[in-house]
Amino acid sequence: MSEAARAYFDGLAKGGGRMLRQVSGTVRFDLRYPDRVDSWLVSIEQGRIAVSYGAAPDADTVICADEQLFLRMTRGEVKPLPAWLRNDFTADGEFRFVVMLERLFAPPPDAHHPREVAARLHPHALTDSRQSASADEVPPAADGEPG
Amino acid sequence: MKKLVRILDGNIFALSEDNGDMVFSPTNPSGFFAFDTRFLSTWRLSLDGEQLHPLAVHEPNYYKIRFFLVPGHPTHYVDAKVSVIRDRWIADSAFTERLTVLNHTSEPVEYLLRVDVDSDFAPVYNVVWPHGSALRGYRDVSDGVLRLGYRRENFHRVADISSSEPAELDERGLTYRIRVDPQGRWTTTLRVEGRVLRPDGADVRERLRHPRGKVGTELPHDLSQWLAEAPQLYCDWESLCMTYQRGLVDLAGLRFSPLALPHETMLAAGLPWSATIIGRDNLLTCYQTLPFVPRMAATTLRLLALDQGTVLDDFRDEEPGKILNEFRYGEMAAFEHRPQSPYYGGADVTPLFIVLLDEYERWTGDGALVRDLEDAARAALHWIDEYGDLRGDGYLWYQPRNDESGAQNHCWKDTPESICYQDGRLPGLPRATCELQGYAYDAKRRGARLAREFWGDPAYADRLERQAEALKQRFNSDFWLDDGGYFALALGPDGDRVDALASNMGHLLWSGIVDPSRAAAVAGHLLGPRLFSGWGVRTLATGQASYNPLGYHVGTVWPFDNSLIACGLHRYGFVEEAGIIAESVVEASQHFAGRMPEAFAGYDRELTRYPVPYPAANSPQASATGATFLLLRTLLGLEPYGEHLVVHPAIPARFGRIELLNIPGRWGHKDAIGNGRATAR
Repeated sequence: MSEAARAYFDGLAKGGGRMLRQVSGTVRFDLRYPDRVDSWLVSIEQGRIAVSYGAAPDADTVICADEQLFLRMTRGEVKPLPAWLRNDFTADGEFRFVVMLERLFAPPPDAHHPREVAARLHPHALTDSRQSASADEVPPAADGEPG
Repeated sequence: MKKLVRILDGNIFALSEDNGDMVFSPTNPSGFFAFDTRFLSTWRLSLDGEQLHPLAVHEPNYYKIRFFLVPGHPTHYVDAKVSVIRDRWIADSAFTERLTVLNHTSEPVEYLLRVDVDSDFAPVYNVVWPHGSALRGYRDVSDGVLRLGYRRENFHRVADISSSEPAELDERGLTYRIRVDPQGRWTTTLRVEGRVLRPDGADVRERLRHPRGKVGTELPHDLSQWLAEAPQLYCDWESLCMTYQRGLVDLAGLRFSPLALPHETMLAAGLPWSATIIGRDNLLTCYQTLPFVPRMAATTLRLLALDQGTVLDDFRDEEPGKILNEFRYGEMAAFEHRPQSPYYGGADVTPLFIVLLDEYERWTGDGALVRDLEDAARAALHWIDEYGDLRGDGYLWYQPRNDESGAQNHCWKDTPESICYQDGRLPGLPRATCELQGYAYDAKRRGARLAREFWGDPAYADRLERQAEALKQRFNSDFWLDDGGYFALALGPDGDRVDALASNMGHLLWSGIVDPSRAAAVAGHLLGPRLFSGWGVRTLATGQASYNPLGYHVGTVWPFDNSLIACGLHRYGFVEEAGIIAESVVEASQHFAGRMPEAFAGYDRELTRYPVPYPAANSPQASATGATFLLLRTLLGLEPYGEHLVVHPAIPARFGRIELLNIPGRWGHKDAIGNGRATAR
């Protein structure tokens, strides 16, 4: 297995992505290399994530991608949905996990909080003293208000 | 746009000339469309080299059409010796056409029948806004199938054309050399399948457990069941019944199964140019139709929750918790020429998501969905404060981050000139339009109810209610224009009031944010001569510099807008005014054969005597169709109260008696009956 893929899945198992608590199911990633295919199974149980390496017989959704593309998606450099629309990776099974893939990956690296953009355009009009969320910061798992 | 005939099944549709032909030109929108792509742009029939002309066109249903054709020009065909029937329908995601040639002579006759076929595989966006499209892709004939295909990297779309009778296939179409007996007939069935292929040759939908549409024979049954399950309407004024029936059928026609929820149905926002998920339109139409066909609301809420924003993304104006504005599957979205994959540029959609979730539970009692969507709903409420309130002053603002291909206005009036001052100037950014504040207020109050009753979080409920109350207090002073006696259309970036007189403040009544002391003045403006055309409330009042009776958001009348306004007037006790709007809009729909148009021109009724169609409007349009239903709810004063349905009719005399039977809800099924009368407050 590749170190980069392993590092990503280890981080996912620890960090948990941004999955909704109401989501359960399994997603298998078949990562293509010139000489082989590595399979990783991500199991989601009410939003909690577990990861295992190696062939898994069945999954709700199977994502098949070249490792390079996959890693770029995990870093937020390539958005999963348009990549699927372009057929740059394939999905078999339930489409809802294609829609939710982004919840497993890092946010786009160079995005802005709308407040930053408004502040840049109209600095004098701002009355806000609150901290803007940094674009690099990964939002908490359930992005809603604390319960 | 010239008049084209159309058939549809949810997000799949075909447009053609009245003889059934699709003739390609860069500006002609005819074709067979699916997946936001034009799969066929040429589909032209000729008999012995001659074009055919229609004697009659029959549309038994939204997915089926029949053309009776004869060769030659109108002056020749009285003694036609041959005629052709062209039956066309959409089923199983395919476009199917049955050609029947009838020989009317007493001799056997040989004919040469030709179908020319071609495609530009244009993304639907380029058909709406013609970009000089050209025929594209490759052609291949093999195994009795003519394949038109288009490839760009791994992106691959094909139209596979096959025939039940033997045909000579070439790369430009199909030829039949046939002999028809005296007084005999000959028939063939052509099938065009639009396919979205993966590099391994499989169709993406088949690999996603998507049933790819319904089998042809099931469609009529499905439609009759849909109609039978909806409440029955009886009204002395035939116009209302006609619009209601037409509306039910149009809603049925707009249904489709989204890829992510393949066994459920929701609505495409409008045909032909909005045959997709548009968050605002989907939510509002579900709201409008809840008392009638409540099931779609659950699917819509679930789907929008799945697609909820999770990250900051400037190109898509995405933020965590935000509900999507538009989803497209075409080439422009795939290759990121356009941001609809999906696009989040709408500041109203997220609060409207909460409004619908709460309203859905009030009608259906489906608390399970409210609990299921708790995370999504909390993230949506959080979005209002963290990303919507981007100046930290408690208001909901928008600041687009995609200047190139995104919308400038993140509200329902999303065209660039729609948010303007009286003198026509445009405010800078960010902007806070008034109706957004109403939606945010309503969302917080409704969110509080959900938190208290379903999420076991009374502290959060208290906080939301305090925020809502504070917002209402400040809104009623900050947005109020003393000189005009109405609410400003928006606040500009310096906190200045954008002072155009517009329909937006009607939504404020719907949301309940208007202080009761101001309501009469608002109602007076909505029904006053500058905003009310006689057919409905204009989007922008006469006398504003930008007013144009044909301006999409600056002067036309929108039935969906009017339905929310009437509902708001009713809420504040202005039942007579609500009735006037309901009556005028229903009457206007009669000029469109009972089909509620997306928009029509804002000319004074006295001037034109009939409502002038807006040229490029979608038809049917989901939220316009929904207007009939919300107006009917308003006339009957239907309101869920605990486990009961309360009925408080306030019906103008013109309607006579209205009976709505079998209204579904948490009470099972109930009837509502009201009699028209001269209402008095």
